[in-house]
Amino acid sequence: MTHIFLKDMAYRRTRVVMTTIGIVVLITLILLLGGIMNGMRIQVQQYIRSTEANLWISAEGSGGAFTGFSLLVPEYLVFINHTKGVKRNSVSPLIFAHARPVINGKATKSIIVGYKQGKLGGPTQTIPNQGRMFTPSQYDDYRPEDQPPAEVVIDEKMRTPSGGKIPIGGKIYIGGKELNVVGRTKSLMFVLDTPLLFMDLRTAQEVLLKNSLHVNMMIAKTEPDYSAEALVEELDRNGMIEARTLDQTLTSIIENYVDEPMKAVQFLRVMLWLAAGIIVTMITYVTTLEKTREIGTLKAIGASDYYIVMLILKQVILMSSAGVTSGVFLAFLAANLAPIFVKIDLLETSVVAIISFVVCCSGGYLASRKVLDVDPMIAFRGEF
Amino acid sequence: MIVQAKGLTKRFGEELAQIVAVDDVSLTIETGELVIVMGDSGCGKTTLVSLLGCILTPDNGQLTLDGQVIDYAGQDLSQVRRQKIGFVFQLFNLIPYLSALENVIIAMQIAGFSRFEAEKRAKDLLTQVGLARRLDHRPAQLSGGEKQRVSFARALSNNPKIIFADEPTANLDSRQSDNLMNLVRQLRQEQQTTIVIVTHYQALQKDADRVIYMQDGKILTD
Repeated sequence: MTHIFLKDMAYRRTRVVMTTIGIVVLITLILLLGGIMNGMRIQVQQYIRSTEANLWISAEGSGGAFTGFSLLVPEYLVFINHTKGVKRNSVSPLIFAHARPVINGKATKSIIVGYKQGKLGGPTQTIPNQGRMFTPSQYDDYRPEDQPPAEVVIDEKMRTPSGGKIPIGGKIYIGGKELNVVGRTKSLMFVLDTPLLFMDLRTAQEVLLKNSLHVNMMIAKTEPDYSAEALVEELDRNGMIEARTLDQTLTSIIENYVDEPMKAVQFLRVMLWLAAGIIVTMITYVTTLEKTREIGTLKAIGASDYYIVMLILKQVILMSSAGVTSGVFLAFLAANLAPIFVKIDLLETSVVAIISFVVCCSGGYLASRKVLDVDPMIAFRGEF
Repeated sequence: MIVQAKGLTKRFGEELAQIVAVDDVSLTIETGELVIVMGDSGCGKTTLVSLLGCILTPDNGQLTLDGQVIDYAGQDLSQVRRQKIGFVFQLFNLIPYLSALENVIIAMQIAGFSRFEAEKRAKDLLTQVGLARRLDHRPAQLSGGEKQRVSFARALSNNPKIIFADEPTANLDSRQSDNLMNLVRQLRQEQQTTIVIVTHYQALQKDADRVIYMQDGKILTD
């Protein structure tokens, strides 16, 4: 005979399917929310790591690069460049700012990265056969006659507001200024798939700062034998700038862009777990109540409490397993189809799956203990 | 002697609302006897059968079943039920999602029979009660009489020392009741099983070895 719990599940299939779907949806959401946060964590680090800089300098009081408002005067470049331990000529002034470029008359999201070509902070080449790099300004210091053409290199994933590819030679507008797209680069996206848009530092200063010579930050490398931590302490003593190591910068950017804003999402994930447990508990409880006569009959004909609890628990375990497994599968599928970068971590998936399974089974077990209250006398009664 | 009850008492409710459902009942039942328990509704018949069938724990008194004194505090009563007792219920109480055959098999699996043995015996029993062609039917596909036959086959499946049947004909028409009682006679002859039946069905009295009349929780006549 096929196992009785399977027959019971087939008999009450609508309830079983609905419960399983409930678990699937909740597990999928839990994993997707985690995946979105992981995706944000990865993307927020990508650009920073890609620069290979290990010193990040911003204005005093800004709380670090990317954290608060920071404008630095160019004079600091010489000071930093001459600090012992900073790799000579590695200091790169950088503008990094959220912008809403207008493409085909509609605003879209992007992050402008203004840097000096050949220095840290941007790509050195475009994707083969996808245009060229922007024409750079000629001098490190500011000269009014050294204004490069208004050209930008866009990330290959940057799209028009309607989703189309931006052609080489296409126009985009920032602050009313027309910029020519001259190339595509395989760069990295920032948080929530925000594409990076690279241009010469001078162009960025013109477009965003009305030709002010300030920059948002300066980045540099240390000499091989020097510790970044020690250099950061030394630079900080200046009192006008804040210096951070790569790790400090990553920690603060993750905290600012992901962990703090996503606290509500973390809370929601816990609530979803709770909801999964409650769903299984309630459905099992209601099913157990509904089967009181059956349970009473089984007890009357000699079934032990353990036998009956196991009948119910096997169903809970099967539903939870199917729900969790399908939820994991669906989450990975949805992550691939999601319009933003979602990275579901395998280790986290295992932990989520195990916790969800335990939560669902615990709920089911608590509800199944209702069996212990069922009096076998119920089998003799006529009123139901 | 299969059953010996001494001073069995069972009360329900508390204080002023307390009802003495079975009041100091003592009785013995011999092996192979067919005992009919009769009486008005609420006189304590079902409670007495539940006490004798180890479903209820008495407030007072002692029960000896198949030579074994029941230790209510320290004994697993479900084990006593699956080893020594068979039950037939007024509303049949078949598991709705199992076939007639599976309803019998499940009782045997609970009693510890192997799957092969359970299936073979369940088929034999259902054939014996005239349901050889209804093995795969679910309860919803069976008539009231057929369901009660499955219920009897289930009760017999674990080779019980005694079968307790609570109003087995209450939900059957007279023809089905007659058929069922023919089955009881046949089972008694073939299996030599002790059967205790709670019933209002007068026609059964002529086959009974004993008829017990109950009133207000006590045995009025035996």
